[in-house]
Amino acid sequence: MPNSRKPSHSLPNARTLTAIAQDPSVRIGGKILVTELTLPAEELLPGPCGYRVNVIDYDSSTDTLYEPAVYKVLPGGHIEDRFALSARMKKSKRRPKGYDRKLLDDPTFHAQNVYAIVMRTLAQFEFALGRRVPWGSDGHQLHVAPHAFADANAFYSRDDRAIFFGYFTGAGGKRVYTCLSHDVVAHETTHAILDGLRRRYMEPSTPDQAAFHEGFADIVALLSLFSLPDVVGALLDLKAAGGKLIAAKYLEREALTKSVLLGLAEEMGSEVSAVRGQALRRSVELTPGKDYMHMPEYREEHARGELLVAAMMNAFLDIWLQRLSKIGPVARGMRDRSIVVEEGARVAGHLLTMSIRAIDYCPPTDIWFSDYLSALLTVDREVVPDQGQYNYRQALLKSFADYGIKQDRDADEDGTWRRCNVDLVYGRNHFDAMLRDPEEVFRFIWENRRALKVREDSYIEVQSVRPSIRIGPDGFVLHETVAEYIQILTLWTGELKTVLKITPPKEIPGNRRIRIFGGGVLIFNEYGQLKYHIPDRLEDLERDRQVERLKCLAESGFFEETAEPRPATGSQSHFANLHRARAMR
Amino acid sequence: MAKSPKGVSIRTYNVGFGDCFLLSFDYGGAERHVLIDFGSTGFPPGVPKDRMMQIANDIRERTKRKLHAVVATHRHKDHISGFATKGGKGTGDVIAALEPNIVVQPWTEDPDLKPDATGPRAKKKQIARKLGRMGATTPKHIAALTHMHGIARQMLAARNLPKAFKGELSFLGETNLANKSAINNLMTMGKKRSYVHCGSKSGLEQVLPGVRVHVLGPPTVDQTDKIKKQRSSDPDEFWQFQARSIGTDEAISGGGAALFPRHVETRGARFPIRARWLRYHSRTMRGEQLLQIVRMLDQQMNNTSVILVFQVRKKCLLFPGDAQIENWEYALGQDKYKALLAGVDLYKVGHHGSRNATPKTLWNRFKKRSKTKKPARLKSLMSTMADKHGHGDSKTEVPRSSLVNALKGETEFLTTQAFKEELYKDTQLAF
Repeated sequence: MPNSRKPSHSLPNARTLTAIAQDPSVRIGGKILVTELTLPAEELLPGPCGYRVNVIDYDSSTDTLYEPAVYKVLPGGHIEDRFALSARMKKSKRRPKGYDRKLLDDPTFHAQNVYAIVMRTLAQFEFALGRRVPWGSDGHQLHVAPHAFADANAFYSRDDRAIFFGYFTGAGGKRVYTCLSHDVVAHETTHAILDGLRRRYMEPSTPDQAAFHEGFADIVALLSLFSLPDVVGALLDLKAAGGKLIAAKYLEREALTKSVLLGLAEEMGSEVSAVRGQALRRSVELTPGKDYMHMPEYREEHARGELLVAAMMNAFLDIWLQRLSKIGPVARGMRDRSIVVEEGARVAGHLLTMSIRAIDYCPPTDIWFSDYLSALLTVDREVVPDQGQYNYRQALLKSFADYGIKQDRDADEDGTWRRCNVDLVYGRNHFDAMLRDPEEVFRFIWENRRALKVREDSYIEVQSVRPSIRIGPDGFVLHETVAEYIQILTLWTGELKTVLKITPPKEIPGNRRIRIFGGGVLIFNEYGQLKYHIPDRLEDLERDRQVERLKCLAESGFFEETAEPRPATGSQSHFANLHRARAMR
Repeated sequence: MAKSPKGVSIRTYNVGFGDCFLLSFDYGGAERHVLIDFGSTGFPPGVPKDRMMQIANDIRERTKRKLHAVVATHRHKDHISGFATKGGKGTGDVIAALEPNIVVQPWTEDPDLKPDATGPRAKKKQIARKLGRMGATTPKHIAALTHMHGIARQMLAARNLPKAFKGELSFLGETNLANKSAINNLMTMGKKRSYVHCGSKSGLEQVLPGVRVHVLGPPTVDQTDKIKKQRSSDPDEFWQFQARSIGTDEAISGGGAALFPRHVETRGARFPIRARWLRYHSRTMRGEQLLQIVRMLDQQMNNTSVILVFQVRKKCLLFPGDAQIENWEYALGQDKYKALLAGVDLYKVGHHGSRNATPKTLWNRFKKRSKTKKPARLKSLMSTMADKHGHGDSKTEVPRSSLVNALKGETEFLTTQAFKEELYKDTQLAF
């Protein structure tokens, strides 16, 4: 097909760029383990600056701007990867002279490394959801600063439209760059994307919500790491001798836990643990089978987030083991190493896709772990309606239960969300507009407000209407639509009881204006019929969620602030109330 | 001399932003003097430069050249700078010459508990006993406090910051610098030294007959651990790590070397258009980060404050230094202090009137608060200065307006902000 560059074939869709597989401390034969990441192809400006990511290497601690990485375009539309290893080098595990030094000392490589990991993470979300995915920040291009400041920190900032990566001095005076840690980069990128998909998840609420952003970002970071065959292979080699075969004893559950999970936790640059936490190590250390979710020490957000990670990592091992049990031995007690590695990377890839897709099946406000589990199971049921050869649902249910996470109370017996089976009016809507127009979806909600149990006296806003496209089990393209709406109801403390039948927690002093939030996700099938309605209701008598939320806020000292005298006009208290309401979430 | 005092006169000195209180107990003709803190981090414009020396001289005169005790609540500059010596000519030299019998400081100043504390075998046994009582990780905690001084020094050296942050950052940075001469002076000036914690003896009993002195804070490491049900990370390790990771001074100060000298595009005033937005936001963000770290550190240091209640018969005087909620938490949870705090007659307002230093649970316990004037109404003393600490928009300004309103409305309120030319004001309390 002709195009602007006039070759007769289409432009390349994907390209590879060299990046450090995990971080500079994960090594093979003393050499930094590198890998080639596959990402969307595009013409890159110096930076690199592309259609979604703009890397600007500015260091605020020294007020220095470093040179951007510049890419030469090769014939055929590809670009030159100056850090790529030749095929011979890759095979021999040898490196050109001074290669590792160059990776560490050349800031243009650091820029390439963050660009590649951020873009790969974004591409993984777009692949899973079958649509373009926005950042939480305004605009389309997110700034990435690989050496933003001298501090052991890295974070996404919505208002600054940026992800900042710090650098610091480690033990022995060695410089540590957080932008060279794959998991840290993927983790921060996930925050930016999740914030784009579910804006309300950053508001203070229950411990689950506080923990979810962290836990989910860790899950995505770790699964995307395990989906790299180079990484899985290197981890297996830590315990077993390399070579084409691997002994079965290294493929028992305990052995894999030690080599793959604990192995990675130990190999990862320990200095960076101040930035990344200890989630992976905790996945191994936590004994399964305890009711962690109800223990007071697991109400703390980081500890709670680790439960989610532990559940997912152990499910990953279980499913991998299930698949390994089906591989026959090549020689006595020996398996083909490359198949073992490939299966591991494949399971991680599958779970990653499911984990991401599940976000579409989570309520738009106040996520609970139980919602996420039900969403995960529902995603799998949609793709594999009958339990297939590998029982992902059972593995997930068991592993989550091991860490105290049960499916939602409203869910079906198998843990998945119930299908929407109420009678709805479609006659006043137009199919085509329902695929993309928030106004049209609002009309649908309004016409059906009673059936959907949406309060008429609340403020209702449809926040998004998005397509979700994937390949169905029969190989055909499935086109579904996901719409999110939120509701806000402002009440005086005393009205909680009369309007919502909530007994206000005694910690709320006096009569205050309190904003109660709710909302839901509507999933329409390819005929525009409502398949799922996943609500977070203003009136939630069965699940008592609003009460629980108020209790948690009261516990966290949210209501302790003495009430300031309210000016008669109310204009000054406007922001105070608004902030309080925001913190209510 | 009478067996117990008839009354006390409290002299509140105007030290700008800082604390300095001289308590003179009247034993019928004879007096016993206790100096609680002597420090400042800044005066309002127009105050003479030798203000601290004027105060030192006044203390000498008021005490007739004899101090009985010195209490240094914690090692912040605004509480101890006046103890600094200068080859015999400093304000600290004046105070040392008053030969206090005893110097009271928080347990965090105890040289025996330092990580590198050594000595003969008998001493070692004594140290081990102390550690058994206070918590095995005590030296680590003290090491963390030492690291904080280093971090504060680095913060002060930070360059390339937006103007909006410079004021508070340099104020807090300076407050948290180690003040070696003042610390050494405090360690050597008294005939005796007493390092106290919640529930311990104050050491003031011998110099103040008839006065019961209760120590309500700071809690030991063990006491703190008892009330902290959940602690996922170790704050002491955090500070050690922070001190190292911020690294060399030039890394943070900005004036130093670039990370990759061979790859610099520009360090000048002109940045290419594509980089300007990020440059502006990064600098602001870095300012916020540094401020956040130095605020945390400032609070930690405040929480080492000694909290004392002086009790004579049924009258109680509360001097909590700069203790904040985390320091107070342990004492507020103890039933035995409930009645004591309910009966407080005079309250030295904690931490210059900041929001976190007068916890609501504490305020609610004061029974002698009253909206109308009456003889036994609670007295309050506040030494402070506006626009030095915190911000109104985040409700962190010092003094906090809602607290000042409550103090004005419900206590006999004395604040150094209302001082004009006066060096001090006296408050009398009869027992």
